[in-house]
Amino acid sequence: MIFIIILIIIKNEIKMSEEKVIVANKGLVRADFAFWVGQYLDKFYDGLENKKIMGNKCPKCGDVFVPPRKICGKCNVVIPLDENWVDLPETGTLMNFTITPYRINDRTSRKAKDWTIGMIQIDGSNTSVVYRLLNMEPEDIKIGMKVKIEWNEKTKGDPSDIKGFLKV
Amino acid sequence: MGRQVAIASAGFSEHASKRSDVSMPELVSEAIEDCLKNAPGVEIGDIDAFVNGNMPAFEGSNIPELWMTDWMGARNKPLLRVTTGGTTGGTVAISGYYTVAAGLPGIDTVLAVAFEQQSQGDTSVGLASVAYGEISILNTLGIPYEQISRLLSAGAAIGVAAYQATTYMNKTKIKEEDLARVVVQNRRNAAKTWWAHLKMPNLTIEEVLDTPYVQYPLRYGMVCPASDGACAMLFTTEEKAKDICDIPVYVNGVASVANETAVLGYDGSGSCQIDPSMQLGAIRSAELTYSQAGISFPRKEIDYAEVYSPFPNQELMWVEKLGLFEEATAPEMYEAGVTAVNGELPVNCSGGVNATNAIGASAMERPAEAALQIMGKASNQVPKTVHTSIGSGWGGSLNLITLMAMSDQPRRKF
Repeated sequence: MIFIIILIIIKNEIKMSEEKVIVANKGLVRADFAFWVGQYLDKFYDGLENKKIMGNKCPKCGDVFVPPRKICGKCNVVIPLDENWVDLPETGTLMNFTITPYRINDRTSRKAKDWTIGMIQIDGSNTSVVYRLLNMEPEDIKIGMKVKIEWNEKTKGDPSDIKGFLKV
Repeated sequence: MGRQVAIASAGFSEHASKRSDVSMPELVSEAIEDCLKNAPGVEIGDIDAFVNGNMPAFEGSNIPELWMTDWMGARNKPLLRVTTGGTTGGTVAISGYYTVAAGLPGIDTVLAVAFEQQSQGDTSVGLASVAYGEISILNTLGIPYEQISRLLSAGAAIGVAAYQATTYMNKTKIKEEDLARVVVQNRRNAAKTWWAHLKMPNLTIEEVLDTPYVQYPLRYGMVCPASDGACAMLFTTEEKAKDICDIPVYVNGVASVANETAVLGYDGSGSCQIDPSMQLGAIRSAELTYSQAGISFPRKEIDYAEVYSPFPNQELMWVEKLGLFEEATAPEMYEAGVTAVNGELPVNCSGGVNATNAIGASAMERPAEAALQIMGKASNQVPKTVHTSIGSGWGGSLNLITLMAMSDQPRRKF
C-alpha cells in the first residue's frame, strides 16, 4: 500500500493598512496523511512493477480504463475486481501536450530546460494518462502521433515506474 | 416548479491586487452597500436570509461567514455558507435562488455574497487543496506530492487550461493571435468598468504576444490577475421585486453540472479525459438551464453573455459550448467584432475573469453583471436593449459548470 506524508509550512502575518506587520507567526506544521489507493489501483501498480499496463473494461459500455476503476461513471455500473481485466500494449497516441518552464513544487528549477508533457491514450483504452514526453523537441511534437512507454530500469510499483513516453 | 425568483439588485466592491485599505468583512460590506444603493426600496433589515461563500482556506481564515455576520447585517438571521472551488460564486448565487424559490415561510428576500481577498493569504496553500488538480485526490491515487510536477507541471488552474487550449487550438486551427485578441477585448472593456482590476485601454495584440510563456500556449499577458474583491446579489420574489426596483430581472433557469471525474490524467473516465476542450458539463448545464428558461434558440434569444474565462481559450470554448456560436466559429466572431460592446452578441463587457479574478466572487460577478446589463445599470452598458442574458462559472478542476439564465420577463407558465 502506498503511504504519503505531506509537510505544510504555515506563515501568518497580520497587516495594517500601511503594511506594517504587527504580528508575524512563522512555524512548521507537520501534517501526516495516509491515503489508501484501493484494490483496483493496487493491482495496476503491481502490473507497473512488472512493466505491464493493465486496464479494466466496463461490462456495459465496453470503455477501457487506465488506470482501472471500480465504477464506470457513464453507466453507473460496478466493474468486479476479479473480472474484465485487459492487458494493454506499451504504445499509445498523443492526444495533446503542453510545454512548461515551471515545476509545480520545485521553485529552484525555474531556469531549467522546458519540459514537454502530454496526455497519452494507451492503445485499446478510452482514457488518457499525463506523462512527460522524452527526447522530443517542441517542433517534433504533433498531436495524434504514436508514442511508446519508457520504463524506469528499477520499478517500485508506483506511477513513477513510467519515466515518460518516447516517439515510436 | 418553485416560486418565480427575481434579482432586485447587484453590487460590487472595487477590485485591486491588494485592497490593504480594508479588512475582509469591510471589503464584503462595500459590495453590500453598492448592492443596496441600486435598490433604494430595500434596507439591510428587510433581508430575510443570507448566503455567503469564498474559496476554502485561501486567506487562511476558517468560517469567515461568522466573522463577517455583522458586516453583512446577518445577525440573528438564517445564514448559509457554500463553497465549490472556482464556481463558488455561481453556486452562492444559485443557492440564493434556491432559498427564495423554496418558498419557506417568512423568507422572501435573500442576499448572496461572494468574496476573496487573495492578497491576505498564501494562495498556494489554498490551491494545494483545490486547483492543483485536487492534490489530495492525486494522493489517493498513489501519486506523491513530489511526483505531481511530473504529471500536471505548472499546476493550478493553468495546468488544466493549457491542455484545453492546445486541444482547442488543434481543433480549430487558430493561432496565438486569436487568443491574444480575446485578451485585448477583455482588458479594454475592463477599462470602462469601475470595479474592474486590470484596466488596459490601449493594450494591443503585439504587447500580449511579447510576454513569456507561463505554460504553452498561455503567456503571462493572457492569464487572469489575482484580485481582492467582493460581489453581492439580492434575490427576491416576483411580487416584492416589483416594489423594490424599476426593472426586476427574473431568474428563469439555473444549473450546476459536473459531467465527469475531475482529475486530469489519472482518474478520468469520460470524454474530457481525451479531449479536455469537449466540456460536456457546459453542454449539459446549458441544456438544463435553457429548457427551464424556455430558450430554444440560444444564439437568437440571448442578447448578452458573461462567461467565466480566466484564460482566453476558455472564453472561445464556452461561447460555443453554451450554444451561442457554432462549434469552432468563435475565433472568427471575435475577429469580426460580433462579441464587442456594440456587436450583435456582446460577451464579457465587464472585462470578465480575464481582467478581474477575486476567485470566490468571480463566478457570481458573471450573473451579477449580466443582470445589471438587463437593468441598464452596468458600468460598460451595451447600446442595444438586453432582454435575456446568461452568466456562467467554471471550476472544480476540470468541468464543474454553473449557469444562470436571466430575463426581463418571468418564466412562461405552461
